Amino acid sequence: MNSAGKKTLFYLAITFIAFAVIIPMMYLINISISSAIEVNDFPKRVLPVLSHDLSIEWDDESSYYIISRKSFSGEYEELTYSSKFDKIETYLITYLNISKTEEEIEEDFIVARNTGDIIYLNYNKDIFNNFGKFFKVFDGASAALVNSIQAAAITILLSMSIGGSIGYALARTKIKGKDAISLGSLVVRMFPAVSISVPMAVLLVKFGMYDTMLGLAIIYSIPNIGLTAWITRSIFMSVNPEFEEASLVFGASKIQTFKKITFPLVLPAFAASSMYAFITAWNDTAVSLLLTNNNETLALLIYKSMGGSASIHYAASGAILLILPALAFTFLLKNYINKMWG
Amino acid sequence: MAYLELAALKKVYGKDIEAVKSFNLKVDKEEFIVFLGPSGCGKSTIMRMIAGLESVTEGNILLEGESIIDYQPKDRGISMIFQSYAVWPHMTVYDNVAYALKLRKISKEQIDKTVKEVAKISDIYQYLNRYPNNLSGGQRQRVAVARAIAIKPKLFLMDEPLSNLDAKLRVSMRTDLKRIHQELKTTSIFVTHDQSEALSLADRIVVMNHGYIEQIGTPNEIYHDSESMFVAKFIGSPPSNFLTVKVKEREDKIFVIHSDFELEVKNKYKKALKNKYINKEIILAVRPENFTINKKGILKVKCNIIEPQGSHVVINIFVGGEEIKVVSNILTLKTNEEIDLGFSEKIAFFDIETEKRIR
Repeated sequence: MNSAGKKTLFYLAITFIAFAVIIPMMYLINISISSAIEVNDFPKRVLPVLSHDLSIEWDDESSYYIISRKSFSGEYEELTYSSKFDKIETYLITYLNISKTEEEIEEDFIVARNTGDIIYLNYNKDIFNNFGKFFKVFDGASAALVNSIQAAAITILLSMSIGGSIGYALARTKIKGKDAISLGSLVVRMFPAVSISVPMAVLLVKFGMYDTMLGLAIIYSIPNIGLTAWITRSIFMSVNPEFEEASLVFGASKIQTFKKITFPLVLPAFAASSMYAFITAWNDTAVSLLLTNNNETLALLIYKSMGGSASIHYAASGAILLILPALAFTFLLKNYINKMWG
Repeated sequence: MAYLELAALKKVYGKDIEAVKSFNLKVDKEEFIVFLGPSGCGKSTIMRMIAGLESVTEGNILLEGESIIDYQPKDRGISMIFQSYAVWPHMTVYDNVAYALKLRKISKEQIDKTVKEVAKISDIYQYLNRYPNNLSGGQRQRVAVARAIAIKPKLFLMDEPLSNLDAKLRVSMRTDLKRIHQELKTTSIFVTHDQSEALSLADRIVVMNHGYIEQIGTPNEIYHDSESMFVAKFIGSPPSNFLTVKVKEREDKIFVIHSDFELEVKNKYKKALKNKYINKEIILAVRPENFTINKKGILKVKCNIIEPQGSHVVINIFVGGEEIKVVSNILTLKTNEEIDLGFSEKIAFFDIETEKRIR
């Protein structure tokens, strides 16, 4: 195959991968800002819709406003009718995510009454409406967010401190059965956390850690300690001992050497493995379903919230909320991971 | 009193792996000492013991008359250049050089002054703000040198610092190191397995083998007056030629007899041979350049292979089934040409058992 053909194939593959990732993301974002009416729309739009096209007609006989919305096919479909602006305000925010005050609505609508013509309006959606509603509709969502952050932080702390120490020991000491330990730590990684959490539930109850974030974090840490040990071991091994020896010769104590030379050199490994730890804790639903009762994590709450079509758009905005901290954390660590010292 | 004294230094790994066996050396101030030997001869181990990176099994290290073996590496006032340079990749060149000074709690202005001064000496002034990853091997090496001389050490240790450089850079860096030593006059110990580095840098060379000292001497002594067969073989490129010969006495004259030639021994070794080695086999060692060609030689031989080296040629010759190498500046010699080979005065004899020099 010639190089042009190869290039085309390459770009096709890249485009396919991009779309496979982007389209579901776009769809999720679109639903997360959808209003109650749009949830039932078909066909669904891939690109997020940020505003509604409305037509307002004054019915002189019954003396009310008829409110219609432009549908996907381009025709205006009647939504509701009312003569009271406070009712219209409530309707707009509840079903269409349009937040307008009574006065603003009156100012726009009165034209239709005065002229007797159908008037066309383009109202922007309040894209944050669903997010606010999510916290209102699902009780304890903000507490769940705090819980999730707590669980993730403790998981990172536990896996980094214990796993990192094991990694250092495996790399720098000559203990018997070193290979068995490092292989064993990977085997632990193979266990599904759920299967550990069933027997652990009993233990956690005994220790008074059932339904606490510490208890959850301990379970999350189990597979991550092994992974961290494995990742950090290899990077500790790759740090040339002469870097440390040079520091010792040039006047640093062992602790200073670790702080100023060894640790900065292995930081990328810690950044990478803390990301794994974070993702384990952040995304888990199965373990927290088993091991928590009142103190849910955010992921679990969203999992539970996906009940019916009436609330699917709130669940979607909750899912977006779940993604954002993970994204922020990843971008924060990206710089460190990129700083692999050669 | 010697500036640095290594007294009966011994290093045992595990239970019975002796890396260094009773090592004695006295180094004067401002001296440039080179430890030379094949890999695994214990030369790096001694250096690491001096630096404090390796514990001492037995013996003592005295620096300025004071035992330093119980001191932490940081308290010994020693600086070191490592084989891999060990220039820290997460610090700029400036920070690398300033690292040791910062730990010594020197004022910022003084540090700045010192860093710039040594950067000029080692020719890295324009790279001070770069990271080592953006430097070439030679430049990194110079950063390591600058870092080492910045602290004005009592002792300057270099552990095969040139072995990671390419051949051309190695030679120029060698000159730089010698120049820096001549400027700063820091007592230095240099470890290498490269004899040309050793010969060109050292005031005195310590040739080591299997944890023993084979010979200590100036480059000239080591080369022209090798104490053992190991030294004669290890030093020189090509190395010394060894021929097994038998000592005979005839009418008060001493001859060494080889299957292809007989050579009368007239020089200072005559007495030593007469005393102990009559009718015994010994080793005759001749450096490749200590042959005479077509000048009243003692045997006729064919040039087997000729390797031109520009300024001279290396000739492979078979003498009694043994291959020897002869260096000659007669550039017109041809393969299979017959030449008249003789020996110059500079020949040496070694005991076949002890492999030591017969004097």
